[in-house]
Order: sequence, then structure tokens, then C-alpha cells
Amino acid sequence: MITLATDVGGTFTDVVLTGADGRTHVAKTLTTPRDPTTGLLRGIARVLAAAGVEPGEVDRFVHATTLATNVILERRGVPVAFVTTRGFRSMLALGRRARVEEERFDLAFTPVEPPVPLTRTFEVPERIAASGAVLLPLDEDAAGRTAREIAGSGAAAVAICLLHSYANPAHERRLAELIAARLPEGTPVVASSEVWPELGEYERATTTLMSAYVGPVMAAYLRRLGAELCGLGVNAPVHVMESAGGVLPASLAADRAVFTIESGPAAGVIAAARQGARRGLSDLISFDMGGTTAKAGLVRDGRPGVTHEFQVGGKGSFGGRRPGTGVPIKVPAIDLAEVGAGGGSIAWVDAGTLRVGPRSAGASPGPACYARGGTRPTVTDADLVLGYLDTGGFGEFRLDAGLAEDAIAEHVARPLGAGVVEAAAAVHDVANAQMGAAIHVVTVRRGIDPRTFTLVALGGAAPTHVARLAERFGIGRVLVPPHAGVGSAAGLLHADLAMERARTFAAPAGTLTSGSAGRDALAELTRVFTELEHTAAGDLGLPVGMADTEVEAVVVRSVGVRFVGQSHAFTIELPAGPVTREAIGQVTEEFYRRYRESYGIDLRDPAELTTARVRLVLPAAATAAPPAHRPSRRDHAVVRGEKRRAWFGGEFVDVPVRAREDCAEGTELTGPCIVTEPQASLLVPPGWRGTIDAHGAVLLEARPSDQRGGRAP
Amino acid sequence: MSTPADPTAEPTADLTAEILRNALCVAAEEASIVVVRSAYSTFIVEGADAAAAILDAAGRLVAHSASTALIQCASLRSALPYVLEAFPLTAMAPGEVFLLNDVYQGGIHANDLLIFRPVFVNGAPAYFTGTLIHVADLSGLSAGGMASDAADVLLEGVQLPPVRIATADGLVDDLVRVLAANSRTPEKLVGDLRALIAGANVAARRLEEIIDAHTAEGLARGVDGYLTHTERRIRAELAALPEGTYMGEYGLDDGRRIRVAVTIEAGPPGAAPSGAHVVVDFDGTDEQAASPVNSGFSQTLGGVMYALRCFVDPSLPMNEGCFVPVEVRMPRGSLVNCTWPYPGGGRWATVAAAEEAIFAALTRALPERGVAASGILQGFSISGTARPWLHMSFDLGGMGASAERDGPDATGALFGGGRNIVPQVEPIEARLPLRVEEVSLIPDSGGAGRHRGGLGTRTVLRMLEDAQVDTRGDRLRRPPSGAAGGAAGRAGGYYRERADGAREPLDAKATRQPLRAGEALVVETSGGGGYGDPAERVPEALRKDLADGRVTPRERT
Repeated sequence: MITLATDVGGTFTDVVLTGADGRTHVAKTLTTPRDPTTGLLRGIARVLAAAGVEPGEVDRFVHATTLATNVILERRGVPVAFVTTRGFRSMLALGRRARVEEERFDLAFTPVEPPVPLTRTFEVPERIAASGAVLLPLDEDAAGRTAREIAGSGAAAVAICLLHSYANPAHERRLAELIAARLPEGTPVVASSEVWPELGEYERATTTLMSAYVGPVMAAYLRRLGAELCGLGVNAPVHVMESAGGVLPASLAADRAVFTIESGPAAGVIAAARQGARRGLSDLISFDMGGTTAKAGLVRDGRPGVTHEFQVGGKGSFGGRRPGTGVPIKVPAIDLAEVGAGGGSIAWVDAGTLRVGPRSAGASPGPACYARGGTRPTVTDADLVLGYLDTGGFGEFRLDAGLAEDAIAEHVARPLGAGVVEAAAAVHDVANAQMGAAIHVVTVRRGIDPRTFTLVALGGAAPTHVARLAERFGIGRVLVPPHAGVGSAAGLLHADLAMERARTFAAPAGTLTSGSAGRDALAELTRVFTELEHTAAGDLGLPVGMADTEVEAVVVRSVGVRFVGQSHAFTIELPAGPVTREAIGQVTEEFYRRYRESYGIDLRDPAELTTARVRLVLPAAATAAPPAHRPSRRDHAVVRGEKRRAWFGGEFVDVPVRAREDCAEGTELTGPCIVTEPQASLLVPPGWRGTIDAHGAVLLEARPSDQRGGRAP
Repeated sequence: MSTPADPTAEPTADLTAEILRNALCVAAEEASIVVVRSAYSTFIVEGADAAAAILDAAGRLVAHSASTALIQCASLRSALPYVLEAFPLTAMAPGEVFLLNDVYQGGIHANDLLIFRPVFVNGAPAYFTGTLIHVADLSGLSAGGMASDAADVLLEGVQLPPVRIATADGLVDDLVRVLAANSRTPEKLVGDLRALIAGANVAARRLEEIIDAHTAEGLARGVDGYLTHTERRIRAELAALPEGTYMGEYGLDDGRRIRVAVTIEAGPPGAAPSGAHVVVDFDGTDEQAASPVNSGFSQTLGGVMYALRCFVDPSLPMNEGCFVPVEVRMPRGSLVNCTWPYPGGGRWATVAAAEEAIFAALTRALPERGVAASGILQGFSISGTARPWLHMSFDLGGMGASAERDGPDATGALFGGGRNIVPQVEPIEARLPLRVEEVSLIPDSGGAGRHRGGLGTRTVLRMLEDAQVDTRGDRLRRPPSGAAGGAAGRAGGYYRERADGAREPLDAKATRQPLRAGEALVVETSGGGGYGDPAERVPEALRKDLADGRVTPRERT
């Protein structure tokens, strides 16, 4: 099994290949923002050449992209028209927003513009009841008129959310047909009952319209990528990372783009969890620092946190997860915090105060030291001036320390009246403080003490900053996995193909476990599960009867359960096998147990089912175990025993520089020192000691005598 | 002045102290989430009308749930001393839980139940966790506790002075049976009680975990540091306001007025923590009425704290430190501090008016911060005639415009809430014999001005069974006024829509008005007042309003 994993970030495109022998090859190229496939193909070609693999031999192609996120954040999606039931045209404008933090005390706060302007919001006469019964048939003439208005509105995609469509999708489907027939061929018309058929019209509507908004952009991109890969001779199926850590086939990723919003960041958290698990570490903070942003995610007991309501553009900090503040998207996503600070973030002086970001030099022109026309100083320039980076650079080109110094001198040192090196050190520190904010959000802000966690460094710039960041929080252990510089892409190699489908299924548990009425209800639930399973299998491009396929798909069925009269349900897994009275009995018992555990209330009142949910997982084929790490031939410019002048403790000192590839298992590293590899440079400050493990990972530990209880001064 | 919470802003802050503070806030937040998730009343579970707090044995507010109504934390804080008066600390046993709803002892009205659970340190109660929700029904003239003809507190519902509702052995069954027997929806009431206790238990468990991690002394030190730090910050903020005494007033629909004098004084030098303090004096406010328009002192206090906090750093945490520098004088027997047996259930019109009065006063101190008046929460409840079911909800009025901005639509100025407290249509219809036919912005309802007031909404609820309705609105006869030459917002109202479509007005404080199956209740909220001369409105803003339908062409001419 040969897998290619690729991660297109704002600055760098990372490509990782695992061969049939389990050996890993990596390449890092600059992202080509005008057409990301250009940089991607360059990286692929390089990695294939390095591995000696023919394009046609690749079995699987896994892709993480920040496209969906960026489209939403930069409002670059296609203009969407929104159609709902008559009487509810104001649904999106009214929203369900909460006023949080500073907004609570602002008597005339500015609400965010609705995700679809009122001028492109339409309503049609029709009505379905909560039971699914049709109260008012869809007015097809009116629907036709609405379609013509939409055609004239400049909309390039349509989102439909009619009341109670989760219970009966007939009107939505018919309306979608009628509208699609009157719009230019290929215009996406997305119905909420297809995207997220659950009760709660507002969240179902926003989830649907975000799909419509991003879908066409994603589809166009993936079509182009598929064609380019074919041109190169790579015919393997393309899988795209979804926000919850599984992967989707490309065709589906376009239709359900909303599931890929956290595609790239999720990969980093999954990678951290996997790297930790391999070493028996289950409480981890992933720290993923690339060129443009830094993300932090929490892994507790080996499991990344998953949120079921992601807020796009939400207020209340860093990625905006505060409920009720942005546009909610009801799809599972890995919970993480993001800040706009990375290696490419531009340092500038604002009225005497040094600031870093949020503007990034990106891949073009890039940091000044890339010598690609950039004149603004970045975090990478500061790191280079401080001696933390190898002028040999990141594989593709050399770094120019002179240009970095000039940029810092002009834009930071001179306005501040400081020396160039002091200015560079200040940029490094301010960047650390900003990235600390992301870690702060997932730990301290939630009352969680980060000091008991291991910080995992991923992404090109992370190894340079990770130990200093750990010091800020009193974190005593840092894990730098092999190929940390392309850590997210490496995490993709092992992602499972997965799809989740759910729909409302309301029935008292007592009915399901009773005599004759129970048989009908059990048959109905079985039918719903089968249907969800078939839909999910279809999503993943699997044949309906999966028994005869080579790989075994794992089907996880669960139901929402609550006490009759309550609103919030627990998700309880169903035991394997047929849906029987006994199975429902077990589910009810499990619900009682979980309820008691969560709330301390020992209650055995009648319970009811709310939702049927299926997660279909096609485990990634086991790849050959990576061979034990052995020191290997270097391909970059570090000579054994080399020393470099680097800034530590307020002065330049000569510190040892080692190539990671030279370090055998068990090699001891003592700070201050620097460990370089082609995609990253690991900074080991004074007070830290590291060892290289069997897989080539570096485990850094603060020496107890030097460990500080709080932030470093 | 208004910097958002930024962890990097205080690089010297001790990490341990910060973790502790956040852990306390998260514990309170979790408690409120537990209450919402395990409660039964639709009003709570769909509208998230629950609050939770952590207090210490001295009655100081340490932390509260931030995602819920801010005003409620003042009631939890106000009520605890009365619990301690009835049940001295020394007599408390682990596992005990206390309950009250008495408006004269820090409560709000019959349906708002307050729960307190002591947390023991070295064998003595050192902290309390508190939770609060509006339960579906606890007797009174109308289901849901919304009767506007309740002339005294006893007609509002069952009165609960501080009582013991649970011990280490579980619920006190005798009391629970009495409460259940006095509710039109006994199962929901008992379920909601369990939810309240569950929330208090979860917060107590978290507090015990914090003590395990930080030691009792560490927690006590952390709490002291947190409260002192907050007090120091708010005093510094208050010191930035111009010293002096500023008067303001605002009226209710019935003509009664709330009058206030806000005095900002520099603090005595050398006092620690030093800085300004504020006196808010409601002297001159009209007398209490024999109808539920009054406010108990705890809700007025919450309103005062909210209003003042609109003029200081919004990132300040809400804890005892905020209360210390503020002296609130609420004349007994007035609208803002009712005495037995005057009812307090309809207090939000009065609290909102008290807030507008404070805004008016502080606008004199800081003219550039002026805002026009806002539409407020418009409550209503619908209950079944033939069988017991209940739908209670608020709709929200448009907010007033300011010198800088249009007023936000249908958000409700009070308490810092948002639209997230209004239930969605599908859950309502899935649970209740109601059909929601319309929820829409009302065009032209925002007061005209250089900046337009926020729009009100219209909600149409069709009865599928015979029902009766109670309403509780204000600013309907005297709609939210404009400021600096802006026009008032459009007055909202309540209406009965007959099956043939004919619409007839219901009183703003209607009680048990019949609505037959097939008839509908129409709730329209008031628009916010406009700010500045309408003739100065920027043409682009007007064009956008016309395109969006917020303003109609007819109205424009």
C-alpha cells in the first residue's frame, strides 16, 4: 500500500509518502496561492522521485485543505439564495445569536450581517407538521416564480430549508427539482434534509447554506486537482480530510464541503493523538504552527475533543467556538483554537508598540530571508537573525540572513530605537505570546492545568518555538515527532475513511420494547438504520452489500436518548447485531447509567429515542510498520560537530548544531542546542534535555532544577 | 477602555491563580448547563433560562454562569444571607440543599426557584453553589405564574421562605409532595427541582476537585485575590467617569415613574483597594402597586449592576468585587423594592425602566454615550384548557439606536441577552399543540433617525386546542422613545386573531384570555427608538433598508 498525504497550508504545501516498506518520504514546497495545485504537484513529483515510486503505483491520495475555512473567513464563497417556508423569511436575519463578553454591555452593538442577505432570501407557501404530515401542499406555481426570482438575483447556489423537512423531505426535494430546472445547468441546489436532517430549523438552515456557499468552490478545486493528478499519472482515489478526523471521497467533499471546514487543523490534532499513543502519552496539547496560523487542540485520555456545533466567524475568541455568536454548523469537528500567528506573520510597530500579525507574508512574497521580493520582517526572519534556523533553509532554497536583518532593522529596530538582535528577540517573544493565546484558550480558559500535559510540536515553525512556549505554561514535557515539520500531512496517512449520517427518529423507548406495537417500531428503526447505512456507504463509494469487499467497514449505530419531556439527549451506541427489544433495553440501561454519572440523578423514568445515527468507518489499510530509526545519510548542510552562534539568555553563545538524521536512538540532547532537519529546526533552550526514541521522535523534558512554575520572565 | 479579554495582556499574572479563576467560572457554567440539560420545562430547555453561581460562606459572589441572564446572579447573591439566617452555618450537614423563592428575601417571584448547596471544608460549610430556574408552574392565578391580576404575592404562587429540600438521604419527600400538589404540571416541577439540585451538585463536585488540586487554603487565597483584583479594576474604571450627581428617569406604560440619582465619587485616598465608588439612589421613585409590576430588591440590584457595567470595561468578571464599590438605595415600598404582600412577578418592565433611568443619568455625564430607549422582553404564556400544557416565552423588542449605530433588531436591551433565548419553531411544534405561522421582522417598526432603531418582531401562534393566554408587556402604550431628535419606535402589542382572520387587541397585561382551537395569538414587539434627525440619515443606509425591506417605500415618503 503506497499512500500519498498532502496538506496545503497558507505558506507551505507538505507532501508525505509511505512506501510499501513503511518508509516515509517528505517534501515541503511553497504554496502557490493563485492555483494551489501547482505547488502541490511540484511537491508530489519531488516525493515520488525521492521514493522511486511511479505515479501509477500510488494506491491512495489523502488531502487536507484549508480551502473551505478560507472561503468562509474571507467571504469568497458563491452568492447563495436561501428559500424557506412562508412566514419565516426573517429566520437568518433574526438568527439565534447570544451577546457575549464585551457585546453584552454594548447598548448598540453591531450584529453581524446575516449569512445570506435579505435581498436573496425567499419564502414559498407550503407547510409540513412536526409529524411529517402535509398541512399545506407545496405551491408549485409560487415555487416556479421564486425560482425565476432566484435566477434574477445573481445567486450561484441555492440552499433550501423548509420547516420539519427532517420528518418529511418531500417538499424540499420537489422544490429543489423545480428550482434546479429553472437555473443554469449545474447550479448547486442543496436541501437541508440531505445535509443534516435534524430538528432545529436555524442550525439546519445555516449548515445547509454554508454547504451551498462553499461547495461550488470546493468542487471546482477538486475537479481541477483530480485532472492534474491524472495528468501526472496518479490514478488513486482522492480522499479529503473532514473536520472530525476521518476522510471523505473527493466527490462527496464537494457536495458536503461544510464537513471539511476544519480539514487541515483536524489533521494536526489527530497526528498528535497518534504520536502520543505510540509513546503511552494520553494527555496532550497539539501545537501546530505553520506559516500563517497556529492552532492548539486538546487530547485527553487519548481522545481529541469533538464539538458538534462549530461556529463560523463566531465572537468570543480564537476560532470562535462560543455558542450563539457566529454562524453555527452542525457537523462534528475537532475542537481547537486558532490564532493568526505563524512563521510568515509580519512584525510591525504600531505607535511604539511591537505587533506580530495578523498579516502574513504567506508564500508570496514570503519572509524577507526567502529573497523572493519580501521586504517586511516576519517571525521566520527574526528566528534566522537569532541563529535558530539553518541558512540551508527548508529544502527548496537557502535563507538570506542579510535580507532578514535589513528588514528587521528598517521596520522594527529603527522605529523602536533598538538593536537589530534585540528587536528580533522581541519579535520571537511576541510571537510566542500570541501562540500562547491558542493554548490558553483550550486549557487555562477552561480551568484545565496545562502543566500536566505534553506539548506536541507539528508544522514547520513549531519546533523552533515549542520549548519556549512550554516554558510560558510551565509545561515540562515536549514531543517532537519524526517529520514534525510536515506533521499534519503525516497525520493524514493513517486517517480512516468515515461518514456520519443521522436523522430524527422519535419514539418512546417503552414502545420499542413492548409487544406488537414494538415490533413495528423496531422494524421502522431497523429500516432507518439500514437506509442511513446505505446512504453512508453510497457516500463513501462502497457497494451496498459490503460483505464481499476486501476491507471490512465498521458500522457504529447510535441513538439519541432522553427522558420523555426533556430536550437534551445523550448519544448511546447500540450493541452490534439486529435491533431487538433486548438491544433497546440495553440502550435504555446505558442511558440511565450515563445520566446518573453526569448529573448525579438516579432516575428510571420513561425514556425516548430522538435520533438515529450511523458512522461508517473504513479503516485505513494497515501500512507496514515504520522501520526502526537509523541514522542515515544527510542531504543538507550540517557538519558533525558544527557550532552556531545563537541567541540564548540575552546573548549570543556558540551552541552545538546536530542533524536529526545523525542522531541514533538514545542520543541525548542537552540545551542549549539546535537540531536541524530538512523541514524544521528544533530549538532546545537551556534547562531542557532530550532523547531520541526508537522512531526518531525527540522527547524533551525540562530539567527539574530548572523547571519554573509559571511563565518565563 | 474596552479591551476584550486577552490572556497576553497580563504577562505577569500568576498562572495558577488564572487556572483557579477559570476553573471556578467553568464550574458555574457547567452547573447551568447541567440544569438546562436535565430540566423539563420547555422555557428552560429551549430558552436556556437558568443561572448558576458559586458563593462563599460570607455570602460573597465568587463566580457565575456567563451564558445565562446576568441579572440572576444578583438574586442568588442576595438570597444566600437569608438562607444562612434561617439555617445557621453551624447547623448545616453535608448533603443538605436549601430552596427559596421569597421575593422579599432575595427571590424573584414564585416560579423562580433558587437552590443552595453548601460545600464543606474541614467539616464546616465554606462555599455554596447556587442554581436558579423558572419552573413551569407553582400554583397562582394563571399557569406559568404570569397572572397580571395577581394583586398580592399569594396570588402569584406558593411562597417558599428558605426551606430544606434535600438531605444526604435525598429529597425531603414531604415537601416535594406539597410542591407537586401545588403545581399544574407536577412531573415537570419535580423534574425541574431535580435538575436544579443536579446543577448545584455538579458545581459542588467541581469545587471539591479544585480544593483537591489547589488545597483549601489555595482556593481561599485564590478567591480573595480574584475578588480584590476585580474590585480594584472596577474602581479604576469608575474613577474615569466624571464626578458628580446625575439624575435620570423613565416611565412605565401605566404612568408610574422610576427616578434615579447616580453619584460618582472619588474614593478616599489611601483606602485599599482605592478608587471611585458609585451611589445609585432611587429616591423619588413611585410607590409599589397592587399588581405585578414591582421588582424585588434583588432584581433591581441586578439591573443596576448591568446598567453600570455598560459604562466600564466590559471584560470585567462579574463577582463580589463588582458589587463592593456600588451602593444602591432602594426605598422600601417603592416600585424597585416591593414589600409584603406586593407582588414582584412582572418586575422586568420596572427593572428595564430603572436601567433606562440610569442610562439617562449617565448620558448626562457622558453625552457621547447616549442611546435611545429599547423595546423590552415581551412575555406571554399559553396554557391548555382541557389538559395541562404550557408554553411560555419571551419575544424581544428592537434596541435603541446610538450616536454611532443603528439599533440591533429584536434583541432586547436588558440583561445582555440575545435571540438565543427565544425558542425555535420546530421544537415548539414537536412538543405542544401549537403551530407557529410566522416569525418576522416588522417593517418600519424601528424609530426613524440619523440612526434607525432596531426592528420589532411579529410572531403568530395558532392554537390546535382550546387554550388561554396571559400576556405581560410594557412600552406598548408609550413606545421606546427616540433620542437627540430621533423618533420613537413603533409600539408593539398582543392580538387575538380569529379563525376568519379578524384581529382584535388583547391587553398588554391580559390574564387567562380564551383562545379557541383555530384562533391565533399574535405577539408584536416594539421597535427601538431612533437617534438624531432622520433627515440626516445617510442615503446608502436608507437604500439598504429599502432593499432589505426593513423600511417600506410608503413609509419613506
